[in-house]
Amino acid sequence: MKKIVLLSTLASVALFAVAPKVISPEKRSSTLSQFVPDISAIVDFSYVNQSLDNNELESLHIPDSAEPATNANNGFNLNYLEMVLSSNVDPYFSMDAVLHFSTEEVEVEEAYFTSTALEHGLRLRGGKLLSEFGRINQQHEHFWDFAQAPLVSEAFFGAEGLNEIGAQLQWVAPTKLYLMVGAEALQGTNDVLFGNAQITDPNSPDILANEEKAPSLFVGYIKSSFDIGHTSVLPGISLAQGSTRLDRFEESANAFSGNSSVFGAELTAKHFFNSYRFLAWQSEWMTQNIDGTEYDASTGTTQRNSLEKERAGFYTQLVYAHDQNWRFGVRYDNLYQNDITLNGITQTTFDPSITNPVSTSENFDRYSVMSEYHFSEFSRIRLEYDHNSALYSESGEKQNLDTISLQFNLSIGAHAAHDF
Amino acid sequence: MKTFLMLLLLPLSLFAHLDIAVSYPYIGAITKVIGKNHVSTTVLAEGNWDPHFIVPRPSLIAKLRNADALIMNGGQLEIGWLPPLIKRANNPKTVPNTATFLDLSRSISFLQKPKSLDRAQGDVHPDGNPHFHLNPNNILILAQDIATFLSAIDGKHQAIYAENLKVFEQDWRTHLVRWQKNMASKKGMKVIQYHDNMAYFNDAYGLENIGTIEPLPGIPPSSRHTLELIKTINTQKPCCIFHDVYHSTKTAQYISEKTGIPIILMPHDIGALESIDSLVALFDYLTTVQAK
Repeated sequence: MKKIVLLSTLASVALFAVAPKVISPEKRSSTLSQFVPDISAIVDFSYVNQSLDNNELESLHIPDSAEPATNANNGFNLNYLEMVLSSNVDPYFSMDAVLHFSTEEVEVEEAYFTSTALEHGLRLRGGKLLSEFGRINQQHEHFWDFAQAPLVSEAFFGAEGLNEIGAQLQWVAPTKLYLMVGAEALQGTNDVLFGNAQITDPNSPDILANEEKAPSLFVGYIKSSFDIGHTSVLPGISLAQGSTRLDRFEESANAFSGNSSVFGAELTAKHFFNSYRFLAWQSEWMTQNIDGTEYDASTGTTQRNSLEKERAGFYTQLVYAHDQNWRFGVRYDNLYQNDITLNGITQTTFDPSITNPVSTSENFDRYSVMSEYHFSEFSRIRLEYDHNSALYSESGEKQNLDTISLQFNLSIGAHAAHDF
Repeated sequence: MKTFLMLLLLPLSLFAHLDIAVSYPYIGAITKVIGKNHVSTTVLAEGNWDPHFIVPRPSLIAKLRNADALIMNGGQLEIGWLPPLIKRANNPKTVPNTATFLDLSRSISFLQKPKSLDRAQGDVHPDGNPHFHLNPNNILILAQDIATFLSAIDGKHQAIYAENLKVFEQDWRTHLVRWQKNMASKKGMKVIQYHDNMAYFNDAYGLENIGTIEPLPGIPPSSRHTLELIKTINTQKPCCIFHDVYHSTKTAQYISEKTGIPIILMPHDIGALESIDSLVALFDYLTTVQAK
């Protein structure tokens, strides 16, 4: 045995006498130090012109959604400044941090570690992260093709999406076909859907709903992808399930506790004509079930009602990149199902107490058209028109909103390349 | 279900024991010639697409997931597409700076290293021009590098890899002589390019690049720059426009009509043109096409 090792070592020394001359790091000198993480900053700035003034906009909302569907002001908006830091930590982990600055505050949008040394196709991530539920949820705003998040994700998860503290485990199957399975255990403190805090009765010392032990939100998904010629197809399904605690006693004298689940199906097909020209069709469909008890404190004593909601919606978009400069896109958003069952009785309106109760059988939709010009990989300007007919005033009047926006997006520094 | 999984896994087990993923076709060709039947290569990029803008299709993640090692060009040529694939493949064997990862640019002396890094000068490569494999002399260095790498991760076949390298080197050196002869009369010839991706080829044979159709690296052509380039062509009289196969030749055709200099398609990798099916075919083509 020793002999063989010795012989082969000798042989290799002899044969590799002219070993490749590896250039010393000094000669390869790059001005970048390896120990400084990749740092990038992205600024998004827009000029917006809407058919309604800022005052009127403030009171508009999608019925039964806590969040307004749009947050841009008429005139100039500094939408955000995003700072991204990323680097390897050691041979076992990498770390990413995304800081989201608005003109008033800074938010840690993401801060997580990712394992780099696990075997068997496993990857563990922990910290604050964007859930990989569906397709658009994990993408940062600057990577979106339209200015606003799809109506369905805004209505179901709020303007920030599923952005939670928790742990994520993903597994890529050892198959020729791309197949990824992921599971996430998340704290579950989404503003509009998931929550676990205790709810107390404003009219008595009673506890209406006990605290649910966190983590109280669980997400799972299966995603796959295959190519047909130069067309890549990405199907996927996702499920989010967790406890819901919505304490709105102070704002609107009601609260809700129960369980919610959201099921999503996604399909993206992207065809490449050459290195720069592509046509991409991307759609997501989601259905939401909320089941529990509603607490109504508007009359002085708290009433309990059993409440179940079934909602469904989708978006579908088509984007054509003509070359490295020009891109065009259309998107259609629709929330088409809003079934409400209160104490076993199917409701026909969202809130019968307002002047013009909005029917639950209404379609809430939006059309968007955009064209983008990319000066380079690092700067682009987007002209977008939206026609939003999903908005209602507090007294229940439908208000169509037309928006034209000119959005400027610039990035500096070392920003990691995006996924497909 | 089990049989279904078996069927899916079967093709993997049929291959040789080392599955080497490589970014570009030329790397696959060198790896195959050194590794022969002891390795199988999985080439991620297609040779007729812009090497800077390979699409990070998720199907490539599955290919990386199952690889035993990864060899890349480096010099930031893959920066726009390979890192997101590596991050998603969840394969510790294809993570940069591990024993089963090879960055070929580490053994090459770069041309055009920028003195300062500023994106006002376009999408510059911080390490210099990364299209180094187009100098056929560099292929020898890369082959040695790959042979050392394969020997390091698969010590059992060290002697075989060394032997294969020796045979390849002898063969390649005879080609080098031939290509040198083909290009001898071209020394000092001035050329225009779309993007300076033939820099190492030009350097090897003494050709001089006097301008590019893109005003700055990664910035698409502008009419002002095109007019300036036409002026340069009229005063400096270059022989021709070396054009890559993946950019539109629209601007080049306009320039060609205005100045009368021909466009010559210069394949950059195996598969860039249908007839380019090997490394030898690539350099045979590159060293004879100007004569036509």
